[in-house]
Amino acid sequence: MKIRYICVLAVVLLALAGGSLTVLAQRGGGAGGRGGAAAGPANPFLGNAQAVDQGREIYNQTCTTCHGPDGAAGEMGPALGAPARRYAQGTDAQIFEAIKNGIPATQMPPFGTQLSDDDVWKVAAYIRGLRGTAIDAPAAGDAASGEQIFWAKGQCGNCHVVKGKGGLVGPDLTNLAGTRKTASIVDALTKPIHKVFGDGGAIPRILIPNTTYQPVRVTAADGKVITGVLKNEDSYSLQIMGTDNQLHMFDRARVKVAYEPTSLMPTDYDKRLTADEFKNLLAFLTRLYVAAPPPAPARGGGGVG
Amino acid sequence: MKRLVLAGLVLCAAAIATAQGDQDLLKPDPSDWVQYSGSYNSHRHSLLNQITPANAATLQGKWTYHMNQQEAIQAVPIVYHGVMYVSQFNRIDAIDARSGNIVWQYQRPPLTRGAQRGTAIYNNKVFVTGADGALVAVDARTGHTVWETKTPAPWRLAGQAPLVAKGKVIVSGNTPSGFIQAYDAETGRHLWTFNTIPQKAGDPGSETWAGDSFKVGGGPVWVSGSYDPEQNAIFYGTGQPGSQWAGEVREGDNLYTDSIVAIDVDTGKIKWHFQNTPHDVHDWDSLEMPVLIDARFQGQPRKLLVQANRNGFYYILDRMNGKFLQGTPFVSKVNWASGLSPEGRPILTPGHEPTVEGSHTCPSTAGATNWPSPAFNPDLNYFFLVAQEGCGLVLRTTNRPGAGGGYLESPKPEEAWQLYVRALDATSGKKIWDYQQISSFHYGPGVLSTAGGLVFAGEHKGQVTALDARTGKSLWHYNTGDLITSSPMSYAIDGQQYIAISSGTNVFAFGLPRTN
Repeated sequence: MKIRYICVLAVVLLALAGGSLTVLAQRGGGAGGRGGAAAGPANPFLGNAQAVDQGREIYNQTCTTCHGPDGAAGEMGPALGAPARRYAQGTDAQIFEAIKNGIPATQMPPFGTQLSDDDVWKVAAYIRGLRGTAIDAPAAGDAASGEQIFWAKGQCGNCHVVKGKGGLVGPDLTNLAGTRKTASIVDALTKPIHKVFGDGGAIPRILIPNTTYQPVRVTAADGKVITGVLKNEDSYSLQIMGTDNQLHMFDRARVKVAYEPTSLMPTDYDKRLTADEFKNLLAFLTRLYVAAPPPAPARGGGGVG
Repeated sequence: MKRLVLAGLVLCAAAIATAQGDQDLLKPDPSDWVQYSGSYNSHRHSLLNQITPANAATLQGKWTYHMNQQEAIQAVPIVYHGVMYVSQFNRIDAIDARSGNIVWQYQRPPLTRGAQRGTAIYNNKVFVTGADGALVAVDARTGHTVWETKTPAPWRLAGQAPLVAKGKVIVSGNTPSGFIQAYDAETGRHLWTFNTIPQKAGDPGSETWAGDSFKVGGGPVWVSGSYDPEQNAIFYGTGQPGSQWAGEVREGDNLYTDSIVAIDVDTGKIKWHFQNTPHDVHDWDSLEMPVLIDARFQGQPRKLLVQANRNGFYYILDRMNGKFLQGTPFVSKVNWASGLSPEGRPILTPGHEPTVEGSHTCPSTAGATNWPSPAFNPDLNYFFLVAQEGCGLVLRTTNRPGAGGGYLESPKPEEAWQLYVRALDATSGKKIWDYQQISSFHYGPGVLSTAGGLVFAGEHKGQVTALDARTGKSLWHYNTGDLITSSPMSYAIDGQQYIAISSGTNVFAFGLPRTN
């Protein structure tokens, strides 16, 4: 029996949580914030929780057909919350402009005739809030103690790498706080279904590596058994990261494949750790961050010949 | 059908200058692929038979063409007399279909990225749409503009491939509500507009919307349709009603959303309609290609229209009048309706409307199938489609009237989404075989049938596979290395049959090793 992690359900969890989004949104945007370079006017509703909630309401009535509920991506438009997207680097003024006047040469239509400027700013404030990640407000606690727990009692390092050290089966967590929200990290530690951004029905625009970490057991023709997680597969081949920390490639026609129903990731850290230990681990995890490199200097000056 | 249609085929570059007209569309040369679906009946069945189950394992790459400065190609290439045309919004590249060499490129500013699904050819012109609502006729030999027009406000064209029928370029769109339009292929003059939903009180269908609730919009048309010259009608699917997750703001059946409509090609007037999903709250567009089949049904020769619908049912209609003849589920789990009434109306089961908590619905909103095209092999009477097994959770964000919503894959492992290429008996709807597209779980490209007895199917993550049309057995595969978001097609030059498919921003052409 094969399982696929539900990359999108946590969107609902976040939506149900509601308040955490609002908190993030309050921080977001404007000059000085990460990615908030000050081209154009600042959002007049910056820090206004009520306005952000109104923005969420307007968004969910107006934008979901294309962009999905709570910015998860829909059938036509991209996810607005995914941190890696170029849209995420836009200033508040650029978001405002895109909503009000549309984006030329794309399917993004103008909403300026339908929404007042205030409403557009509110939606922009809400979208900005979708983008915050854990590093913007790291969890309180003793991060140094949390690091100890990560490598010892928590056994996290058996599967996860931080700064080049650790096991290879799970995701590299070196920049966890730069890519995930705190609520998502808590979900990952405590809930069987925990991923954040998913396609929500969208057609992916680019081919990207598999991120499902599907556990799998492969029996080769010679009887040798390899366990690990799927890096990729298709109807003709399998690519696996083994629990032996080695890559294994298989011709599908020559092996037997069993998909394990349970993730290798434990989801009871709130029980296997004390409350203080969990708090400290979270403090450590929400500080795992690699700042983006500064923009490359403009070319020129070297000349040719 | 069994004759070797390639025999004696001699074409040369000078043939490009041949005027191309109605006959080329009504009875296309099997060496050409002159429109989105290959032929007016939308069979996607090439009459070429050089590639067979016996030799498919020897297929090899012939050329690759990169369409620069673009996102993944969703267009199906068309080929006329050795020239291939591949489109995007505002863009057509003409390629020598033998070598993959570029012949000319048309780029109307601005450079535009978006889901544009193809072009059409007629009388030495190829037609392309712009994201700004422009419709342009370009000289098929040079890429020079012949005429350019703009959809009259407030309409905006969507990305579907134009369909040329009786000298008219048929296009469609979503904004402000669904519509189909015809333009004169020679001049670009606007001829008629058909609105898929009422525009004012008293319009046909307005009685199926509470009050003036048709103002919520809907009925988008973003996929091409089919054409029956004998009936002088085009057949198009229409999309979902506006306020798609919140039916309480538009009580009634909401015509003509989620319907198949037959439109008089001369007047734009509706001849008949069949609504697959009345009062839809699951975003189950009926934009899956309507396929026109002449076949014996229950002992009688009939002119049929068949469609595998996003809602999970395979429909067989009489295309002369739209009468429902039969409807059967083509996926294993359909829980929102217990079946169809004798008139084809779904018999609803309770508990599947979108809720804040999420209601469990099979198929999911992603659909039991979607816009990637099916194919029909008349020799076998098999209908091939991309079927998606699995269920979903359908959500709305609040309980307030008109609230938005969305959908998710069911968290139950046994209901996870999985794509199959599936063969049905076209006139009974019974499943013949399945080919599982491992690791593919959302949409995926459409399929191509060939008289050689093959089905060509792309997989979303880049594999192209040749399947035995009788058994579904995989005979050959090739990893194109990028996402495949459009359907394969086939053409021939100088006795060589080619299979072409877009992958990412490239077009790949495959064929057998040459023996001469």
